[in-house]
Amino acid sequence: MQTPLTIPVPVLRLPRGPDGLSRGFAPDGRRAPLKPEVPGIQECPIAQESAESQEQRARANLRERYLRSLLAMVGRQVSFTLHEGVHVAAHFGATDLDVANFYVSQLQTPIGVQAEALLRCSDIISYTFKP
Amino acid sequence: MAMRQTPLTCSGHTRPVVDLAFSGITPYGYFLISACKDGKPMLRQGDTGDWIGTFLGHKGAVWGATLNKDATKAATAAADFTAKVWDAVSGDELMTLAHKHIVKTVDFTQDSNYLLTGGQDKLLRIYDLNKPEAEPKEISGHTSGIKKALWCSEDKQILSADDKTVRLWDHATMTEVKSLNFNMSVSSMEYIPEGEILVITYGRSIAFHSAVSLDPIKSFEAPATINSASLHPEKEFLVAGGEDFKLYKYDYNSGEELESYKGHFGPIHCVRFSPDGELYASGSEDGTLRLWQTVVGKTYGLWKCVLPGKNFYSELPNSKMHGFFCHFSSLILFQEEIASENSDSIYSSTPEVKA
Repeated sequence: MQTPLTIPVPVLRLPRGPDGLSRGFAPDGRRAPLKPEVPGIQECPIAQESAESQEQRARANLRERYLRSLLAMVGRQVSFTLHEGVHVAAHFGATDLDVANFYVSQLQTPIGVQAEALLRCSDIISYTFKP
Repeated sequence: MAMRQTPLTCSGHTRPVVDLAFSGITPYGYFLISACKDGKPMLRQGDTGDWIGTFLGHKGAVWGATLNKDATKAATAAADFTAKVWDAVSGDELMTLAHKHIVKTVDFTQDSNYLLTGGQDKLLRIYDLNKPEAEPKEISGHTSGIKKALWCSEDKQILSADDKTVRLWDHATMTEVKSLNFNMSVSSMEYIPEGEILVITYGRSIAFHSAVSLDPIKSFEAPATINSASLHPEKEFLVAGGEDFKLYKYDYNSGEELESYKGHFGPIHCVRFSPDGELYASGSEDGTLRLWQTVVGKTYGLWKCVLPGKNFYSELPNSKMHGFFCHFSSLILFQEEIASENSDSIYSSTPEVKA
């Protein structure tokens, strides 16, 4: 009898790493899940509250639109403008969770075509594609 | 179908990880702090390994790090001859405590009012955190550099380890109560308050002693030199890691080796169980922290149990994205596992390439 094939335990995602930009400790980061206890603070006007939630909704909306744009890019030809006036084109594959890297294939560079590559987002100034 | 352990690698450090500590369980979950030779200790969410922030300020390798029970404060011990106390919510430095040599170990009392430090100057120091300007109380007696110092017996006593001895001190009288001598260098020490157990590692031995009397309870031998070991909160298992890069899990009662895992690319320096016992974390010379499940296959944190017969991909919002998860810093590539006739396609990890 053959030994059964073991399956690695699936994971939802990898642990998030440092963002490389700041030292972290985002104010609403780790304390977000629990509703903060605000025993005495009732003077917060309703108008202020709704402006904040409006902004939050707008941000969520923009974020969703950006993520959908990334999904729409999958498999398409994208032109990237990098630093020092460099332009490259490639087929877009995916980004990682923090959108710190773009996974691309058939990257056309001034020194040849790279079959698979990772473009660092910090190196990219802008990118454009036709859906 | 048998499940294989999937460790979660936490990247971010650029040098060996030499110490790690969990907080207690707080209303926000529990947290993990890692000490690194790159001088930048990091705070992470304990159950997922997600990075929360980096404590910036030390000018040398950080040898020891700890969190207080409710994870509101952190303390670090460094080669720049200082110990620092931090606000663990904002990341701000609260206090810098100057020492006369490399500081190796820090520990808060249960009420976070006092900090115990120890290091190469062979002195134990007790700082009153409510009076940071006051001189610390000093306990001398060690004849070699102190590697680890811990409060025990409800902060009424202190346990400290140097190269070849472990000593028990009375806090009130600041005098030595008892000591243990070893032939080999003591590599680590862990104190378990419930049951007053002390876990000491030296050579290939993992030894358990009473924290009150220092009398030996039992000990196990591992296949390689062990640098750190940790006992599960329910005292069913212990985990240990050392020079052969592997992590070992033993049954505490029988001493039987239950599991062993390869994965790290360098010696393991520290291993600790989480406060709920559901996972354990290891820190290595390879600069990474890894989280391991105590019960392999259980749904917890980022690990997701998949029932046999269910296609994992049907749960993802866009099945096109699945093949391309890349985590740059540690270059782990998740590829589709070639589906066998009766297993489901799920993530599998290919060998890592260290950046």
